[in-house]
Amino acid sequence: MSRSASLLPREDAREAALFFVVCALCFLAVLSGLVARAAYAAAGAWTSEVAGEMTIRVRGTEAEASRALAVIEKTQGISFAHALTRAESEDLLKPWLGAAGIPAGLQLPHLIAAEGSTGAGDAITVALRFAGIDAIVDDHKAWSADARRATDTIGLVALSAVVLLGATGIAVIAFATHATLLARHDIVELLHLTGAKDDFIAGLFERRFLMLGVQAGALGALLAFGAASFILFAARQADAQAWLLPQLALSLADGLILGLSPLIAGGAAMLAANVTVKRSLSDMV
Amino acid sequence: MPDNDLSSDEPVLRLDRVGLSYGAESDVLADVSLSLLPGSMTFLTGPSGAGKSTLLRLAYLALRPTSGRVSLFGADTSRLRRRDLAPLRRRIGVVFQEFRLLDHLSAYDNVALPLQVLGRPEASYRQDVVDLLNWVGLGDRLHARPATLSGGEKQRVAIARAVVVKPDLIIADEPTGNVDEDMAERLYHLFRELNRRLRTTILIATHDLALVRRARSDVLRLADGMVVRVPPETREGQT
Repeated sequence: MSRSASLLPREDAREAALFFVVCALCFLAVLSGLVARAAYAAAGAWTSEVAGEMTIRVRGTEAEASRALAVIEKTQGISFAHALTRAESEDLLKPWLGAAGIPAGLQLPHLIAAEGSTGAGDAITVALRFAGIDAIVDDHKAWSADARRATDTIGLVALSAVVLLGATGIAVIAFATHATLLARHDIVELLHLTGAKDDFIAGLFERRFLMLGVQAGALGALLAFGAASFILFAARQADAQAWLLPQLALSLADGLILGLSPLIAGGAAMLAANVTVKRSLSDMV
Repeated sequence: MPDNDLSSDEPVLRLDRVGLSYGAESDVLADVSLSLLPGSMTFLTGPSGAGKSTLLRLAYLALRPTSGRVSLFGADTSRLRRRDLAPLRRRIGVVFQEFRLLDHLSAYDNVALPLQVLGRPEASYRQDVVDLLNWVGLGDRLHARPATLSGGEKQRVAIARAVVVKPDLIIADEPTGNVDEDMAERLYHLFRELNRRLRTTILIATHDLALVRRARSDVLRLADGMVVRVPPETREGQT
């Protein structure tokens, strides 16, 4: 004989199906959440990577380029400046012109790489103009803005997917819980006729479905984290431009996504159980 | 809330001109009046389909009448709020015709179910449940699941579950329907013992005319949606 046996049967095939549904929905929602967060993080990383970096193209002779370098080094806010050698310039052009090299006679623009504080690009432009040097300063502002816009769009799409999946998940969990509970109507009615109060009966089902939702949600969230890590790891292994890919790190935000999803799934299942049982009981005398 | 103690002449169950119909169909019960006094034992007979089970469902508060009044333990149930019906149900033990045992629970746990609902700790009732199962002849089947029990054994578990809280009123729907004559006799004596020892009021719906004839109890006959009391001298022919 048992110590106060559970008045509900252990899980059956219907609850196994519900477990699978909750797990799959959490998997998709968490995957989207992680992608959205990683996309935002990547956008930040990309732009901060180029923030403060400048490339100055000097039109003119070697002597003009040397003069420009001297002016740049003296400009306020500049921490580093370096005139690229012909070999370094050829390296930059290799992706477009191939490894065969550039004809010796071909004139290449004189490039100066500089680093400095935000706004130093404008100071260099003014200083070079004042010194009478014809040069173009590229501080990657336009590129950064484009990158930010692109990643914002990706992030918003992923975030919309999270919201949509979350709402769909809660609705499906509620529906599946409702269907599972209908099969338990005989137990609900027997307990009711034995004198059990509505809260007592609802409590039995709430606890059962809370546990089911939390366990299925946790499994789905862990699988999603594993899948996201694997996909990004595989992409990094295959692609030379891996630095462009978003990074997955167990940050606070990732932890929140992983930790909250099972609780939300459990809460949705518990709420659905409560509403379904109470509604079922209200149909009885 | 009704008071637990009824005066000796206050009916435990009283139906006043109760009628019940489902939608536009003809009345299942037309005009039923009856009252059960505390400590009485009453048989309810009648042809199949006469509405005996429906009448019992009204009595154990699984249905509401479409007309008339059902009073339990002195309380008019139509005037009670839904949540106030649960304490009344706890004073009723029901033996359902189809047993309604929970398949995932052992015989012991099925019998203990009403005690669990009351929130009593298992240590406080363990021996009582074992004794009760011994009493109904299932002392060696404590751990058996309903699927492994015969019809008669299920019936006895259902009866044990109905009486375990020593209710003020026991309502049994064909409690001897699935057992042989000997077991029917034994079960009848079980009800009789409860009735005599604890003054439990008992209402039994049955087809078992032999049992009804042997019992020296009140007999009600339900036919054509109405209940009539069957006098002892006419039972032989009418039940």
